[in-house]
Amino acid sequence: MIDNEQQHKQETTSANLEHFSYDNVIVKNFAIATMFWGIAGMVVGLLVALQLAHPIFNIGEQAWLTFGRLRPLHTNAVIFAFVGNGMFAGIYYSLPRLVKARMYSDLLGKIHFWGWQLIILSALITLPLGFTQGKEYAELEWPIDIAIAVIWVVFGLNMIMTLVKRRERHLYVAIWFYLATFVTVAVLHIVNSLALPLSLFNSYSVFAGVQDALVQWWYGHNAVAFFLTTPYLGLMYYFVPKAANRPVYSYRLSIIHFWSLIFIYIWAGPHHLLYTALPDWAQSLGTVFSVMLIAPSWGGMLNGLLTLRGVWDKVRTEPVLKFMVVALTAYGMATFEGPMLSFKNVNAITHYTDWTIAHVHVGALGWNGFLTFGMLYWLFPKMYRTKLHSLKLANVHFWLGTLGIVFYVVPMYWAGLTQSLMWKEFTPEGFLKYPNFLETVTQIVPMYMLRAVGGLLYVVGALVGVYNYYMTATSGKLQREEEASAPALQGSHKVKRWHEWIEARPIQMTIFSFVAISIGGIVEFLPTYFVEENTPTIATVKPYTPLELKGRDIYIREGCYLCHSQMIRPFRSETERYGDYSKSGEFVYDHPFQWGSKRTGPDLARLGGKYPDSWHYNHMLDPGSMSPGSIMPSYPWLLEDDISVDDVPAQISLMRNLGVPYEEGYEEKAVADLDKQAEEITESLINDGSDTAPRKEIVALIAYLQRLGVDAGQASNLPLK
Amino acid sequence: MKSANKKILSLLALTLTGNAAWASDQLIYGIDNFDLLIYTLGSVLVLLFFAILIIALGLLFIVKESLKKAPKTAEDVAFEMEGETGWKGFLARINAAKPIALEKDIIMDHNYDGIQELDNDLPPWWKALFYACIVLAFGYLGVYHWWAETDAEPVSIAEYHYDVEQAEIAKKEYLATMANAIDETNVEVAVEASALASGKKAFDANCKACHGGAGEGGVGPNLTDEYWLHGGDVKSIFKTIKYGVPAKGMLAWEAKLTPLQIQEVSSYILSLQGTNPPNGKAPQGEKVAM
Repeated sequence: MIDNEQQHKQETTSANLEHFSYDNVIVKNFAIATMFWGIAGMVVGLLVALQLAHPIFNIGEQAWLTFGRLRPLHTNAVIFAFVGNGMFAGIYYSLPRLVKARMYSDLLGKIHFWGWQLIILSALITLPLGFTQGKEYAELEWPIDIAIAVIWVVFGLNMIMTLVKRRERHLYVAIWFYLATFVTVAVLHIVNSLALPLSLFNSYSVFAGVQDALVQWWYGHNAVAFFLTTPYLGLMYYFVPKAANRPVYSYRLSIIHFWSLIFIYIWAGPHHLLYTALPDWAQSLGTVFSVMLIAPSWGGMLNGLLTLRGVWDKVRTEPVLKFMVVALTAYGMATFEGPMLSFKNVNAITHYTDWTIAHVHVGALGWNGFLTFGMLYWLFPKMYRTKLHSLKLANVHFWLGTLGIVFYVVPMYWAGLTQSLMWKEFTPEGFLKYPNFLETVTQIVPMYMLRAVGGLLYVVGALVGVYNYYMTATSGKLQREEEASAPALQGSHKVKRWHEWIEARPIQMTIFSFVAISIGGIVEFLPTYFVEENTPTIATVKPYTPLELKGRDIYIREGCYLCHSQMIRPFRSETERYGDYSKSGEFVYDHPFQWGSKRTGPDLARLGGKYPDSWHYNHMLDPGSMSPGSIMPSYPWLLEDDISVDDVPAQISLMRNLGVPYEEGYEEKAVADLDKQAEEITESLINDGSDTAPRKEIVALIAYLQRLGVDAGQASNLPLK
Repeated sequence: MKSANKKILSLLALTLTGNAAWASDQLIYGIDNFDLLIYTLGSVLVLLFFAILIIALGLLFIVKESLKKAPKTAEDVAFEMEGETGWKGFLARINAAKPIALEKDIIMDHNYDGIQELDNDLPPWWKALFYACIVLAFGYLGVYHWWAETDAEPVSIAEYHYDVEQAEIAKKEYLATMANAIDETNVEVAVEASALASGKKAFDANCKACHGGAGEGGVGPNLTDEYWLHGGDVKSIFKTIKYGVPAKGMLAWEAKLTPLQIQEVSSYILSLQGTNPPNGKAPQGEKVAM
């Protein structure tokens, strides 16, 4: 110990001391973007919460303001704009300081910053317009996907080059997490976004059905892991010991929990697909790896909380620590709850309900939100060389936020459990107690109202925080360049412990992380893709007609999958309500899959033939007319707007390229087929008193809805044996 | 026999998963929500009991050990100096934390922007949790795959078929106890005001959307005139409602309404004859003399 100190002193006083500075401007920019997009994302969240409480909040029956289009905007804004910018602010601040080197390139930093903001802006425009790939949290269309990949590589390059030029030999645990984040998000994003474009803003996933579902939830789950968790653990490892002024509790705990976390996390994706048509073995892998994930996740929480040993009294007064302690606690709760929800018997009850919504908000509001706020309470006084404007306001922010979380999640847990029990209840005669799905919705609408109150509290708290940050900034002056000095790295590194061979070498660290995160994905995906046994085909399942494809485009554009599943689980309560359980062979032509993850409305997998065409027509025009009390928005524009048939031949050949077996030359006949089918539907609609024309969007949508589940056996009210 | 095995397996699964609390309608076959609640409370209580037992034993053991150690170690002294006695001392000890005064023994030669690192041991309970979860993972795979009886179909599907079979049996037994099950061969018009009132209720909930609030028709035909597409006597109406006319968009209500309810709705529909509501849809089908 004393040797070390002496050595350190020698180093710092040695002649080859180098002088350099840290750039605070880029950190400030990212911090401002974090607050700006954070508030925007939360306000959109509040709006969609109100839309579920009452459809009147789908303001003015404007297409771009409906739930189906704003919900992706909310999730993308919170994940990629709020947390994304927060992560970058924290990394651009902590990384140079941890390795005693300025970020490699100011220019790359600027490209990274402005590129990321432009991506967010393009999302803000395209998502409400309905340009979407139809996969949750990966909705953005292919040109934006490419931009994300490029900017992400710019970020990675800037980070890795900084490490190459570092002045601190051994990499701190925070940096391990940053590197794992970079590598894994790149892999996830690129694989899940693989799509063939039909036009500038329309493309189709190269995967279909079961495979697409597996890839999507491998991505979706690990977006949580490697975009919302690992970078934030890295930030935690910087800001908690800094604010507490205590050494990190355990280096060996850091090592064990880092490697086990990134290795195990990647396997857990299939727990989003329990009781679906995904092969059973893949589902079980998802379950057991989720269970094994508890300890690695808690390792991060423990290392954070135990770092506070001896200084817990500081938590009472120091807002940074206050926010971070709640963040770590929320992290611990969510990472325990997640594995519990991954048990099949628990999942059978909670899945498709608001329980999931509650679960993700413990993570988003508690872990990501509070850690971000805590970090900003540290950054602003430091960068502006002043004191926090108001401790009192920080406390107000803290309590509004905490209460907001409670008011948000408790009603959602309650709503989820209530609805699930109602879905599953039978009468002694063997009938569903609540055969009308709507009854189970109107029952929980009061909970939706309460949830909006919780959301409002949280947003108000965030606004108080922003005001506090702003006043803090105006009371000081931004220190644009922060001077620092350190000796250059010299000579070769003597490895004292074997794992330093990785930890002191950024390239090895990156490669080993890559290996650790690749294994799970490969083991789960390759057999699902290549072993035919895993997705048995069904002879009667045929490709969609051209008109149905157009209808499917509309279904995806309007975000129907955000409220309606197309996946009947093998439960008596579901087969009784929706028809026979779904088989993997039914989805082989679904590019992308549309299984959904939440049932705000009923499942639609076997909707075809269940209602007359005119029912759908009236229902889309005014859902309340067919289902009084429905919270579904109206879609009057579908009755006005025409589909474009110019790209039908191109769409057919694109689908064929993806493996859909349209006969050669079908492109020539496709438009005629489309018109013929449209005429038939139009005729039936006009007979029932609904005035329409064959090229209207509503006709295409009805064609698609009437096809759902028809091939694999007509929907039946009787449970099929 | 198979059923008994399944029950045991499912109970084993519940115990293994440690959260029998939220057993689904899949694992405990054919139970209603009340049973579910009882199972939930029961299993929570059992788990709580074991948790308390383990904690109590652990505490006893620690107290015993600490009494046994007469000569105090340097760690004990340091803990006492730092006020880490009682509950706080217990927390420090279950985490195997070094006393703060002795941290200099485990501080690393790392220094990142002023951040130093200790090298405390892994908290023993955390390590135990990790190992237990790994064991549990293998147990889970065992229950659902390796030791599962059904090779022919996935476990979830086998569970489903079993569940449906059990429900059918329970339903048959229940219906056997009900006298005079109503069907399309024996149904009569109900005339009691209460029957017509509940018929109206069911009509408003299920039929109104297509046939109009007063039976005037809309998406579906007018039910108040003398013209019928599928017969206008009570037996025919009962049959149409029960099985539906899928080709024309009329749903089969067999799975949603009880025979009694179908009788009540049929009777209510017949009571609408000749009411001639506004906006009546033009007659369809054949005239039937009443």
